[in-house]
Amino acid sequence: MATGDLATADMVLNIGPQHPATHGVLRLALTLDGERIVRADPVIGYMHRGAEKLFEVRDYRQILVLTNRHDWLSSFGNELGVVLAVERMLGMEVPVRAVWLRTLLAELNRVLNHLMFLGSYPIELGAITPIFYAFREREEIQAVMEEISGGRMHYMFNRVGGLKEDMPAGWPDRARAAVRRVRVRVRDDIDALVRGNEIFRARTRGVGVLSRELAEAFGVSGPIARASGLDVDLRRDEPYLAYADLPADVLRVVTRTEGDCLARFECLLDQVYVSLDIAEHCLDVLDSLPVGPINVRLPKVVKAPEGETYAWTENPLGINGYYLVSRGEKTPWRLKLRTASFNNVQVLAELLPGELLADMVAILGSMFFVVGDVDK
Amino acid sequence: MTQVPGKGLVHGLGVTLRTMTTRSVTQEYPHVRPDLPPRSRGVIALLEENCTVCMLCARECPDWCIYIDSHKETVPAREEGARPRTRNVLDRFAIDYSLCMYCGICIEVCPFDALFWSPEFEYAEHDLGFMTHERDRLREWMPTVPAPPADVLNAEPAKEVPS
Repeated sequence: MATGDLATADMVLNIGPQHPATHGVLRLALTLDGERIVRADPVIGYMHRGAEKLFEVRDYRQILVLTNRHDWLSSFGNELGVVLAVERMLGMEVPVRAVWLRTLLAELNRVLNHLMFLGSYPIELGAITPIFYAFREREEIQAVMEEISGGRMHYMFNRVGGLKEDMPAGWPDRARAAVRRVRVRVRDDIDALVRGNEIFRARTRGVGVLSRELAEAFGVSGPIARASGLDVDLRRDEPYLAYADLPADVLRVVTRTEGDCLARFECLLDQVYVSLDIAEHCLDVLDSLPVGPINVRLPKVVKAPEGETYAWTENPLGINGYYLVSRGEKTPWRLKLRTASFNNVQVLAELLPGELLADMVAILGSMFFVVGDVDK
Repeated sequence: MTQVPGKGLVHGLGVTLRTMTTRSVTQEYPHVRPDLPPRSRGVIALLEENCTVCMLCARECPDWCIYIDSHKETVPAREEGARPRTRNVLDRFAIDYSLCMYCGICIEVCPFDALFWSPEFEYAEHDLGFMTHERDRLREWMPTVPAPPADVLNAEPAKEVPS
Protein backbone atom coordinates (compact mmCIF):
# COMPACT_ATOMS: atom_id res chain seq x y z
CA MET A 1 0.00 0.00 0.00
CA ALA A 2 1.00 3.61 -0.38
CA THR A 3 2.74 5.50 2.40
CA GLY A 4 -0.44 6.78 3.98
CA ASP A 5 -0.01 10.52 3.65
CA LEU A 6 -1.35 10.45 0.15
CA ALA A 7 -4.87 9.25 -0.43
CA THR A 8 -4.74 6.54 -3.07
CA ALA A 9 -7.55 4.90 -4.87
CA ASP A 10 -7.52 1.58 -6.61
CA MET A 11 -7.87 1.76 -10.30
CA VAL A 12 -9.78 -0.77 -12.35
CA LEU A 13 -8.11 -1.46 -15.63
CA ASN A 14 -9.78 -3.50 -18.31
CA ILE A 15 -7.48 -5.56 -20.44
CA GLY A 16 -9.52 -6.66 -23.39
CA PRO A 17 -11.85 -8.00 -24.63
CA GLN A 18 -10.20 -6.43 -27.67
CA HIS A 19 -6.58 -6.22 -26.67
CA PRO A 20 -3.55 -7.46 -28.55
CA ALA A 21 -2.06 -9.04 -25.45
CA THR A 22 -4.93 -11.42 -24.80
CA HIS A 23 -4.78 -13.19 -28.16
CA GLY A 24 -8.50 -13.45 -28.49
CA VAL A 25 -11.43 -11.99 -26.67
CA LEU A 26 -10.48 -12.72 -23.09
CA ARG A 27 -11.14 -9.80 -20.77
CA LEU A 28 -9.17 -9.25 -17.61
CA ALA A 29 -10.61 -6.81 -15.09
CA LEU A 30 -7.56 -5.81 -13.09
CA THR A 31 -7.66 -3.76 -9.93
CA LEU A 32 -4.44 -1.86 -9.60
CA ASP A 33 -2.75 -0.23 -6.68
CA GLY A 34 -0.18 1.83 -8.48
CA GLU A 35 1.82 -0.62 -10.59
CA ARG A 36 0.79 -3.62 -8.59
CA ILE A 37 -2.17 -5.85 -9.33
CA VAL A 38 -4.36 -6.42 -6.29
CA ARG A 39 -7.17 -8.26 -7.95
CA ALA A 40 -7.64 -9.94 -11.28
CA ASP A 41 -10.88 -11.26 -12.70
CA PRO A 42 -10.77 -13.13 -15.95
CA VAL A 43 -14.08 -12.35 -17.66
CA ILE A 44 -14.83 -15.02 -20.17
CA GLY A 45 -17.62 -15.82 -22.56
CA TYR A 46 -17.15 -13.24 -25.30
CA MET A 47 -16.68 -16.05 -27.76
CA HIS A 48 -19.22 -18.47 -26.35
CA ARG A 49 -20.71 -20.35 -29.25
CA GLY A 50 -22.73 -22.86 -27.29
CA ALA A 51 -20.68 -25.76 -28.55
CA GLU A 52 -22.14 -28.21 -26.04
CA LYS A 53 -25.70 -27.33 -27.03
CA LEU A 54 -24.83 -27.57 -30.71
CA PHE A 55 -23.41 -31.06 -30.11
CA GLU A 56 -26.85 -32.21 -28.97
CA VAL A 57 -28.47 -31.58 -32.33
CA ARG A 58 -25.76 -33.09 -34.48
CA ASP A 59 -24.81 -36.64 -35.25
CA TYR A 60 -21.37 -37.91 -34.37
CA ARG A 61 -19.78 -37.09 -37.69
CA GLN A 62 -21.15 -33.56 -37.60
CA ILE A 63 -19.90 -33.16 -34.03
CA LEU A 64 -16.37 -33.69 -35.30
CA VAL A 65 -16.75 -30.55 -37.40
CA LEU A 66 -17.51 -28.57 -34.26
CA THR A 67 -14.87 -30.17 -32.04
CA ASN A 68 -12.33 -29.21 -34.67
CA ARG A 69 -13.14 -25.64 -33.90
CA HIS A 70 -13.40 -25.05 -30.17
CA ASP A 71 -9.64 -25.24 -29.79
CA TRP A 72 -8.49 -24.45 -33.28
CA LEU A 73 -4.86 -25.17 -32.52
CA SER A 74 -5.43 -28.75 -31.42
CA SER A 75 -8.11 -29.87 -33.84
CA PHE A 76 -6.85 -33.40 -34.15
CA GLY A 77 -6.73 -33.96 -30.41
CA ASN A 78 -10.28 -32.69 -30.09
CA GLU A 79 -11.64 -34.98 -32.77
CA LEU A 80 -9.88 -37.81 -31.06
CA GLY A 81 -11.72 -37.33 -27.75
CA VAL A 82 -15.12 -37.62 -29.38
CA VAL A 83 -14.35 -40.62 -31.54
CA LEU A 84 -12.73 -42.42 -28.61
CA ALA A 85 -15.86 -41.84 -26.52
CA VAL A 86 -18.20 -43.08 -29.24
CA GLU A 87 -16.00 -46.07 -30.06
CA ARG A 88 -15.92 -47.03 -26.39
CA MET A 89 -19.72 -46.81 -26.19
CA LEU A 90 -20.08 -48.96 -29.28
CA GLY A 91 -17.39 -51.39 -28.09
CA MET A 92 -15.73 -50.91 -31.43
CA GLU A 93 -12.32 -52.32 -32.25
CA VAL A 94 -10.25 -49.80 -34.19
CA PRO A 95 -7.81 -51.20 -36.79
CA VAL A 96 -4.21 -51.13 -35.66
CA ARG A 97 -3.12 -48.97 -38.58
CA ALA A 98 -5.63 -46.33 -37.59
CA VAL A 99 -4.43 -46.42 -33.98
CA TRP A 100 -0.83 -45.73 -34.95
CA LEU A 101 -1.70 -43.17 -37.58
CA ARG A 102 -3.89 -41.35 -35.08
CA THR A 103 -1.04 -41.30 -32.59
CA LEU A 104 1.27 -39.93 -35.23
CA LEU A 105 -1.10 -37.20 -36.32
CA ALA A 106 -1.94 -36.28 -32.73
CA GLU A 107 1.74 -35.71 -32.06
CA LEU A 108 2.25 -33.69 -35.24
CA ASN A 109 -0.73 -31.61 -34.16
CA ARG A 110 0.91 -31.13 -30.77
CA VAL A 111 4.05 -29.85 -32.45
CA LEU A 112 1.98 -27.44 -34.52
CA ASN A 113 0.22 -26.16 -31.43
CA HIS A 114 3.40 -25.74 -29.43
CA LEU A 115 5.19 -24.00 -32.28
CA MET A 116 2.42 -21.44 -32.35
CA PHE A 117 2.97 -20.58 -28.71
CA LEU A 118 6.75 -20.80 -28.99
CA GLY A 119 6.45 -18.07 -31.59
CA SER A 120 3.73 -15.95 -30.06
CA TYR A 121 5.01 -15.90 -26.50
CA PRO A 122 8.28 -14.10 -27.32
CA ILE A 123 6.19 -11.61 -29.34
CA GLU A 124 4.30 -10.74 -26.18
CA LEU A 125 7.64 -10.08 -24.52
CA GLY A 126 8.78 -7.88 -27.36
CA ALA A 127 10.80 -10.32 -29.43
CA ILE A 128 9.41 -10.35 -32.94
CA THR A 129 11.85 -12.67 -34.66
CA PRO A 130 10.97 -16.11 -33.21
CA ILE A 131 7.47 -16.16 -34.69
CA PHE A 132 8.91 -16.18 -38.20
CA TYR A 133 10.98 -19.22 -37.37
CA ALA A 134 8.02 -20.85 -35.64
CA PHE A 135 5.76 -20.26 -38.61
CA ARG A 136 8.33 -21.60 -41.03
CA GLU A 137 8.33 -24.85 -39.07
CA ARG A 138 4.56 -24.81 -38.78
CA GLU A 139 4.33 -24.51 -42.55
CA GLU A 140 6.55 -27.57 -42.88
CA ILE A 141 4.23 -29.73 -40.76
CA GLN A 142 1.05 -28.14 -42.03
CA ALA A 143 2.04 -29.17 -45.55
CA VAL A 144 2.34 -32.75 -44.32
CA MET A 145 -1.01 -32.57 -42.54
CA GLU A 146 -2.66 -31.02 -45.56
CA GLU A 147 -1.40 -33.74 -47.83
CA ILE A 148 -2.92 -36.50 -45.71
CA SER A 149 -6.10 -34.86 -44.46
CA GLY A 150 -6.77 -32.02 -46.89
CA GLY A 151 -6.93 -29.43 -44.12
CA ARG A 152 -4.33 -27.21 -42.60
CA MET A 153 -6.11 -26.45 -39.33
CA HIS A 154 -9.45 -28.22 -39.30
CA TYR A 155 -8.40 -31.68 -40.32
CA MET A 156 -11.77 -33.45 -40.14
CA PHE A 157 -9.82 -36.67 -40.56
CA ASN A 158 -11.09 -38.84 -37.70
CA ARG A 159 -14.11 -41.00 -38.15
CA VAL A 160 -15.83 -43.23 -35.67
CA GLY A 161 -13.92 -46.48 -36.11
CA GLY A 162 -10.76 -45.09 -37.64
CA LEU A 163 -9.62 -42.43 -40.03
CA LYS A 164 -11.08 -41.11 -43.25
CA GLU A 165 -8.37 -42.33 -45.57
CA ASP A 166 -5.03 -44.05 -45.49
CA MET A 167 -1.73 -42.30 -46.12
CA PRO A 168 -1.00 -41.30 -49.71
CA ALA A 169 1.98 -43.05 -51.29
CA GLY A 170 5.23 -41.32 -50.40
CA TRP A 171 3.66 -39.45 -47.51
CA PRO A 172 5.53 -41.32 -44.74
CA ASP A 173 8.86 -40.29 -46.27
CA ARG A 174 7.81 -36.70 -46.65
CA ALA A 175 6.52 -36.69 -43.07
CA ARG A 176 9.77 -38.18 -41.81
CA ALA A 177 11.80 -35.60 -43.69
CA ALA A 178 9.63 -32.80 -42.30
CA VAL A 179 10.02 -34.12 -38.76
CA ARG A 180 13.77 -34.24 -39.18
CA ARG A 181 14.01 -30.76 -40.62
CA VAL A 182 11.78 -29.33 -37.92
CA ARG A 183 13.76 -30.98 -35.15
CA VAL A 184 17.04 -29.57 -36.40
CA ARG A 185 15.67 -26.11 -36.97
CA VAL A 186 13.76 -25.88 -33.70
CA ARG A 187 17.00 -26.74 -31.95
CA ASP A 188 19.25 -24.47 -33.99
CA ASP A 189 16.91 -21.54 -34.43
CA ILE A 190 14.06 -21.19 -31.96
CA ASP A 191 15.82 -22.89 -29.08
CA ALA A 192 19.11 -21.09 -29.70
CA LEU A 193 17.39 -17.78 -30.18
CA VAL A 194 15.09 -17.77 -27.17
CA ARG A 195 16.15 -20.15 -24.44
CA GLY A 196 19.47 -18.54 -23.59
CA ASN A 197 18.42 -14.98 -24.32
CA GLU A 198 19.14 -12.76 -21.32
CA ILE A 199 16.23 -10.40 -21.94
CA PHE A 200 13.81 -13.28 -22.29
CA ARG A 201 15.10 -14.91 -19.11
CA ALA A 202 14.95 -11.65 -17.20
CA ARG A 203 11.32 -11.17 -18.20
CA THR A 204 10.24 -14.71 -17.34
CA ARG A 205 12.39 -16.21 -14.60
CA GLY A 206 10.70 -16.16 -11.22
CA VAL A 207 7.71 -14.35 -12.71
CA GLY A 208 4.22 -15.68 -12.12
CA VAL A 209 5.17 -18.66 -10.04
CA LEU A 210 2.35 -21.19 -10.02
CA SER A 211 2.66 -23.53 -7.09
CA ARG A 212 1.92 -27.20 -7.43
CA GLU A 213 -0.90 -26.92 -4.89
CA LEU A 214 -2.56 -24.09 -6.78
CA ALA A 215 -2.25 -25.99 -10.02
CA GLU A 216 -3.91 -28.99 -8.39
CA ALA A 217 -6.65 -26.91 -6.81
CA PHE A 218 -7.61 -25.26 -10.09
CA GLY A 219 -7.39 -28.39 -12.19
CA VAL A 220 -4.58 -26.93 -14.24
CA SER A 221 -3.21 -29.51 -16.66
CA GLY A 222 -0.86 -29.96 -19.54
CA PRO A 223 2.54 -28.32 -19.91
CA ILE A 224 1.57 -25.56 -17.48
CA ALA A 225 0.88 -28.01 -14.67
CA ARG A 226 3.97 -30.03 -15.50
CA ALA A 227 6.07 -26.87 -15.28
CA SER A 228 4.88 -26.61 -11.67
CA GLY A 229 5.97 -30.14 -10.89
CA LEU A 230 2.54 -31.71 -11.29
CA ASP A 231 3.70 -34.82 -13.08
CA VAL A 232 0.50 -35.80 -14.87
CA ASP A 233 0.43 -36.85 -18.48
CA LEU A 234 -2.47 -38.97 -19.68
CA ARG A 235 -0.35 -40.36 -22.47
CA ARG A 236 1.67 -42.16 -19.84
CA ASP A 237 -0.75 -42.35 -16.91
CA GLU A 238 -3.86 -43.49 -18.71
CA PRO A 239 -2.64 -44.47 -22.14
CA TYR A 240 -5.02 -44.28 -25.05
CA LEU A 241 -4.28 -44.97 -28.71
CA ALA A 242 -0.81 -46.51 -29.08
CA TYR A 243 0.84 -44.58 -26.27
CA ALA A 244 1.03 -47.70 -24.10
CA ASP A 245 3.16 -49.39 -26.74
CA LEU A 246 5.70 -46.59 -26.93
CA PRO A 247 9.06 -47.27 -25.28
CA ALA A 248 9.74 -45.16 -22.21
CA ASP A 249 12.69 -43.41 -23.85
CA VAL A 250 10.41 -42.18 -26.63
CA LEU A 251 7.48 -41.07 -24.51
CA ARG A 252 9.30 -38.85 -22.04
CA VAL A 253 7.22 -36.62 -19.82
CA VAL A 254 8.78 -33.17 -19.58
CA THR A 255 8.49 -31.62 -16.16
CA ARG A 256 9.91 -28.65 -14.32
CA THR A 257 9.56 -27.67 -10.68
CA GLU A 258 10.00 -23.90 -10.80
CA GLY A 259 6.48 -23.13 -11.97
CA ASP A 260 7.45 -19.75 -13.42
CA CYS A 261 6.93 -18.43 -16.93
CA LEU A 262 10.33 -19.66 -18.05
CA ALA A 263 9.60 -23.19 -16.83
CA ARG A 264 6.30 -23.20 -18.71
CA PHE A 265 8.01 -22.05 -21.89
CA GLU A 266 10.80 -24.60 -21.54
CA CYS A 267 8.26 -27.37 -20.94
CA LEU A 268 6.61 -26.46 -24.21
CA LEU A 269 9.90 -26.31 -26.05
CA ASP A 270 11.15 -29.65 -24.73
CA GLN A 271 7.81 -31.28 -25.47
CA VAL A 272 8.27 -30.45 -29.13
CA TYR A 273 11.33 -32.70 -29.23
CA VAL A 274 9.46 -35.48 -27.44
CA SER A 275 6.53 -35.22 -29.85
CA LEU A 276 8.85 -35.31 -32.85
CA ASP A 277 10.49 -38.45 -31.45
CA ILE A 278 7.10 -40.08 -30.95
CA ALA A 279 6.08 -39.08 -34.48
CA GLU A 280 9.21 -40.68 -35.91
CA HIS A 281 8.63 -43.84 -33.89
CA CYS A 282 5.03 -44.04 -35.14
CA LEU A 283 6.22 -43.64 -38.73
CA ASP A 284 8.60 -46.56 -38.27
CA VAL A 285 5.84 -48.72 -36.79
CA LEU A 286 3.42 -47.76 -39.57
CA ASP A 287 5.95 -48.86 -42.17
CA SER A 288 6.20 -52.28 -40.60
CA LEU A 289 2.47 -52.93 -40.18
CA PRO A 290 0.85 -55.51 -42.44
CA VAL A 291 -1.73 -54.62 -45.05
CA GLY A 292 -4.94 -53.74 -43.30
CA PRO A 293 -7.91 -51.41 -43.15
CA ILE A 294 -7.76 -47.89 -41.78
CA ASN A 295 -11.38 -47.72 -40.62
CA VAL A 296 -14.37 -49.83 -39.79
CA ARG A 297 -17.33 -50.02 -42.12
CA LEU A 298 -20.09 -48.16 -40.35
CA PRO A 299 -23.85 -48.54 -40.54
CA LYS A 300 -25.68 -45.72 -42.30
CA VAL A 301 -26.66 -44.18 -38.98
CA VAL A 302 -24.22 -44.39 -36.09
CA LYS A 303 -26.07 -44.58 -32.80
CA ALA A 304 -24.21 -44.82 -29.53
CA PRO A 305 -26.04 -47.23 -27.22
CA GLU A 306 -27.75 -45.93 -24.14
CA GLY A 307 -25.26 -45.13 -21.44
CA GLU A 308 -22.49 -42.75 -20.59
CA THR A 309 -18.75 -42.54 -20.81
CA TYR A 310 -15.99 -40.06 -20.20
CA ALA A 311 -13.10 -39.95 -22.62
CA TRP A 312 -10.20 -37.69 -21.86
CA THR A 313 -7.07 -37.13 -23.81
CA GLU A 314 -3.82 -35.28 -23.29
CA ASN A 315 -4.36 -32.42 -25.69
CA PRO A 316 -1.46 -30.11 -26.48
CA LEU A 317 -2.73 -27.57 -23.96
CA GLY A 318 -3.80 -30.02 -21.27
CA ILE A 319 -6.52 -32.46 -20.42
CA ASN A 320 -9.43 -32.37 -22.82
CA GLY A 321 -12.43 -34.46 -21.85
CA TYR A 322 -15.77 -35.36 -23.34
CA TYR A 323 -18.53 -36.71 -21.12
CA LEU A 324 -20.90 -38.42 -23.47
CA VAL A 325 -24.41 -39.35 -22.37
CA SER A 326 -26.44 -41.15 -24.96
CA ARG A 327 -30.06 -42.23 -24.98
CA GLY A 328 -29.46 -44.47 -27.94
CA GLU A 329 -30.21 -41.86 -30.55
CA LYS A 330 -28.03 -40.69 -33.36
CA THR A 331 -27.27 -37.49 -31.50
CA PRO A 332 -25.84 -37.42 -27.99
CA TRP A 333 -28.23 -36.53 -25.22
CA ARG A 334 -25.49 -34.52 -23.62
CA LEU A 335 -21.85 -34.04 -24.50
CA LYS A 336 -20.07 -32.19 -21.76
CA LEU A 337 -16.84 -30.63 -22.78
CA ARG A 338 -13.94 -30.20 -20.38
CA THR A 339 -11.33 -28.01 -21.95
CA ALA A 340 -7.80 -27.42 -20.81
CA SER A 341 -7.72 -23.69 -21.46
CA PHE A 342 -10.79 -23.05 -19.31
CA ASN A 343 -9.12 -24.30 -16.14
CA ASN A 344 -5.75 -22.89 -17.07
CA VAL A 345 -7.18 -19.40 -17.42
CA GLN A 346 -9.14 -19.50 -14.16
CA VAL A 347 -5.92 -19.73 -12.17
CA LEU A 348 -5.01 -16.22 -13.36
CA ALA A 349 -7.26 -14.84 -10.62
CA GLU A 350 -4.83 -16.30 -8.08
CA LEU A 351 -1.66 -15.90 -10.06
CA LEU A 352 -1.83 -12.24 -11.02
CA PRO A 353 -2.50 -10.48 -7.66
CA GLY A 354 0.76 -9.22 -6.23
CA GLU A 355 2.49 -9.08 -9.57
CA LEU A 356 3.45 -5.94 -11.44
CA LEU A 357 1.31 -4.76 -14.30
CA ALA A 358 4.32 -4.96 -16.59
CA ASP A 359 4.56 -8.69 -15.89
CA MET A 360 0.89 -9.26 -16.59
CA VAL A 361 1.42 -9.92 -20.29
CA ALA A 362 4.29 -12.28 -19.56
CA ILE A 363 2.14 -14.32 -17.18
CA LEU A 364 -0.97 -14.22 -19.34
CA GLY A 365 0.95 -15.33 -22.39
CA SER A 366 2.64 -18.15 -20.51
CA MET A 367 -0.70 -19.75 -19.64
CA PHE A 368 -0.90 -20.89 -23.29
CA PHE A 369 -4.60 -20.83 -23.93
CA VAL A 370 -6.93 -20.56 -26.88
CA VAL A 371 -9.93 -18.35 -26.20
CA GLY A 372 -12.21 -20.56 -28.25
CA ASP A 373 -11.25 -23.38 -25.91
CA VAL A 374 -12.07 -21.23 -22.87
CA ASP A 375 -15.45 -20.02 -24.09
CA LYS A 376 -16.47 -23.15 -26.00
CA MET B 1 23.47 -20.04 -14.54
CA THR B 2 26.78 -18.22 -14.75
CA GLN B 3 27.69 -17.12 -18.22
CA VAL B 4 29.25 -14.22 -20.00
CA PRO B 5 26.73 -11.35 -20.06
CA GLY B 6 25.24 -10.91 -23.47
CA LYS B 7 26.23 -14.37 -24.64
CA GLY B 8 22.62 -15.30 -25.32
CA LEU B 9 22.11 -12.16 -27.37
CA VAL B 10 25.22 -12.73 -29.44
CA HIS B 11 24.16 -16.32 -29.95
CA GLY B 12 20.76 -15.09 -31.18
CA LEU B 13 22.41 -12.70 -33.59
CA GLY B 14 24.40 -15.64 -34.87
CA VAL B 15 21.15 -17.43 -35.68
CA THR B 16 19.92 -14.36 -37.54
CA LEU B 17 23.15 -14.12 -39.48
CA ARG B 18 23.01 -17.79 -40.43
CA THR B 19 19.39 -17.52 -41.52
CA MET B 20 20.18 -14.45 -43.62
CA THR B 21 22.42 -16.53 -45.81
CA THR B 22 19.88 -19.30 -46.40
CA ARG B 23 17.29 -19.26 -49.13
CA SER B 24 14.04 -17.47 -48.50
CA VAL B 25 11.02 -19.68 -47.82
CA THR B 26 8.46 -17.09 -48.89
CA GLN B 27 6.34 -18.02 -51.88
CA GLU B 28 5.53 -15.03 -54.07
CA TYR B 29 1.91 -16.12 -54.18
CA PRO B 30 0.13 -14.32 -57.00
CA HIS B 31 3.12 -14.90 -59.25
CA VAL B 32 3.97 -18.38 -58.01
CA ARG B 33 0.98 -20.68 -57.66
CA PRO B 34 1.08 -22.89 -54.58
CA ASP B 35 1.44 -26.57 -55.29
CA LEU B 36 -1.49 -28.06 -53.42
CA PRO B 37 -1.91 -31.76 -52.67
CA PRO B 38 -4.85 -33.53 -54.33
CA ARG B 39 -6.68 -34.02 -51.02
CA SER B 40 -6.66 -30.30 -50.34
CA ARG B 41 -10.10 -29.05 -49.44
CA GLY B 42 -10.43 -25.89 -51.50
CA VAL B 43 -13.85 -25.87 -53.07
CA ILE B 44 -16.65 -28.32 -53.73
CA ALA B 45 -17.33 -29.08 -57.37
CA LEU B 46 -20.57 -30.53 -58.67
CA LEU B 47 -20.93 -33.09 -61.40
CA GLU B 48 -24.54 -32.32 -62.17
CA GLU B 49 -25.10 -35.36 -64.39
CA ASN B 50 -24.62 -37.66 -61.43
CA CYS B 51 -27.00 -35.83 -59.09
CA THR B 52 -30.31 -37.58 -58.51
CA VAL B 53 -31.68 -34.93 -56.13
CA CYS B 54 -31.67 -37.36 -53.22
CA MET B 55 -31.04 -34.43 -50.86
CA LEU B 56 -28.64 -36.41 -48.66
CA CYS B 57 -25.93 -33.75 -48.88
CA ALA B 58 -28.34 -30.95 -47.99
CA ARG B 59 -29.65 -32.93 -45.02
CA GLU B 60 -26.28 -34.04 -43.68
CA CYS B 61 -24.63 -30.64 -43.99
CA PRO B 62 -23.91 -29.44 -40.44
CA ASP B 63 -24.92 -25.88 -41.23
CA TRP B 64 -27.39 -26.45 -44.05
CA CYS B 65 -25.61 -24.37 -46.62
CA ILE B 66 -26.62 -26.46 -49.64
CA TYR B 67 -29.76 -25.33 -51.42
CA ILE B 68 -31.49 -27.74 -53.76
CA ASP B 69 -34.69 -27.19 -55.73
CA SER B 70 -36.16 -29.76 -58.02
CA HIS B 71 -39.34 -30.80 -59.74
CA LYS B 72 -40.72 -34.11 -60.91
CA GLU B 73 -41.08 -34.94 -64.54
CA THR B 74 -43.01 -37.78 -66.04
CA VAL B 75 -41.13 -39.91 -68.50
CA PRO B 76 -43.56 -41.59 -70.88
CA ALA B 77 -43.54 -45.36 -70.96
CA ARG B 78 -40.76 -46.80 -73.06
CA GLU B 79 -42.72 -49.75 -74.32
CA GLU B 80 -46.32 -50.80 -74.74
CA GLY B 81 -48.10 -51.58 -71.51
CA ALA B 82 -45.44 -50.17 -69.19
CA ARG B 83 -46.19 -47.46 -66.70
CA PRO B 84 -44.86 -43.95 -67.22
CA ARG B 85 -42.05 -43.17 -64.77
CA THR B 86 -41.36 -40.04 -62.84
CA ARG B 87 -37.92 -38.69 -62.21
CA ASN B 88 -36.43 -35.79 -60.33
CA VAL B 89 -35.01 -32.93 -62.28
CA LEU B 90 -32.56 -30.56 -60.65
CA ASP B 91 -33.64 -26.91 -60.81
CA ARG B 92 -31.17 -25.38 -58.46
CA PHE B 93 -28.05 -26.57 -56.70
CA ALA B 94 -26.20 -23.92 -54.75
CA ILE B 95 -23.63 -23.93 -51.99
CA ASP B 96 -23.30 -20.93 -49.74
CA TYR B 97 -19.56 -20.75 -49.16
CA SER B 98 -19.97 -18.02 -46.59
CA LEU B 99 -21.52 -20.67 -44.33
CA CYS B 100 -19.64 -23.76 -45.50
CA MET B 101 -17.29 -25.21 -42.89
CA TYR B 102 -15.34 -27.28 -45.44
CA CYS B 103 -15.94 -30.54 -43.55
CA GLY B 104 -16.63 -32.60 -46.64
CA ILE B 105 -19.58 -34.51 -45.20
CA CYS B 106 -21.68 -33.76 -48.30
CA ILE B 107 -19.02 -35.30 -50.52
CA GLU B 108 -18.76 -38.31 -48.26
CA VAL B 109 -22.49 -39.02 -48.12
CA CYS B 110 -23.17 -38.51 -51.82
CA PRO B 111 -24.12 -42.00 -53.02
CA PHE B 112 -23.75 -41.17 -56.72
CA ASP B 113 -20.40 -39.34 -56.74
CA ALA B 114 -21.78 -36.01 -57.79
CA LEU B 115 -19.66 -33.90 -55.42
CA PHE B 116 -15.87 -33.62 -55.36
CA TRP B 117 -13.19 -31.69 -53.56
CA SER B 118 -11.00 -29.45 -55.63
CA PRO B 119 -7.91 -27.63 -54.32
CA GLU B 120 -9.05 -24.50 -56.16
CA PHE B 121 -9.26 -21.63 -53.68
CA GLU B 122 -9.38 -18.36 -55.59
CA TYR B 123 -13.04 -17.46 -55.32
CA ALA B 124 -13.01 -14.69 -52.76
CA GLU B 125 -15.69 -12.04 -53.09
CA HIS B 126 -16.16 -8.54 -51.76
CA ASP B 127 -19.55 -9.35 -50.31
CA LEU B 128 -20.78 -12.36 -48.34
CA GLY B 129 -23.91 -12.38 -50.45
CA PHE B 130 -21.88 -13.25 -53.53
CA MET B 131 -20.45 -16.35 -51.87
CA THR B 132 -23.46 -18.47 -52.81
CA HIS B 133 -22.41 -20.27 -55.94
CA GLU B 134 -24.97 -21.80 -58.26
CA ARG B 135 -24.68 -25.06 -60.15
CA ASP B 136 -23.10 -23.66 -63.29
CA ARG B 137 -20.26 -22.19 -61.22
CA LEU B 138 -19.91 -25.43 -59.24
CA ARG B 139 -19.78 -27.32 -62.54
CA GLU B 140 -16.95 -25.10 -63.76
CA TRP B 141 -14.75 -26.37 -60.96
CA MET B 142 -15.05 -29.97 -62.11
CA PRO B 143 -12.00 -29.85 -64.42
CA THR B 144 -9.87 -28.75 -61.46
CA VAL B 145 -10.68 -31.91 -59.48
CA PRO B 146 -7.50 -33.99 -59.27
CA ALA B 147 -7.37 -37.76 -59.35
CA PRO B 148 -7.14 -39.26 -55.85
CA PRO B 149 -3.55 -40.01 -54.85
CA ALA B 150 -2.36 -43.59 -54.62
CA ASP B 151 -2.18 -44.98 -51.09
CA VAL B 152 0.88 -46.40 -49.35
CA LEU B 153 1.67 -50.01 -50.15
CA ASN B 154 0.41 -51.49 -46.89
CA ALA B 155 -2.92 -49.71 -47.08
CA GLU B 156 -5.97 -51.80 -47.79
CA PRO B 157 -6.75 -51.60 -51.53
CA ALA B 158 -9.70 -49.40 -52.35
CA LYS B 159 -13.00 -51.22 -52.87
CA GLU B 160 -14.00 -49.13 -55.83
CA VAL B 161 -11.39 -48.06 -58.31
CA PRO B 162 -12.28 -44.93 -60.29
CA SER B 163 -12.35 -45.66 -64.00
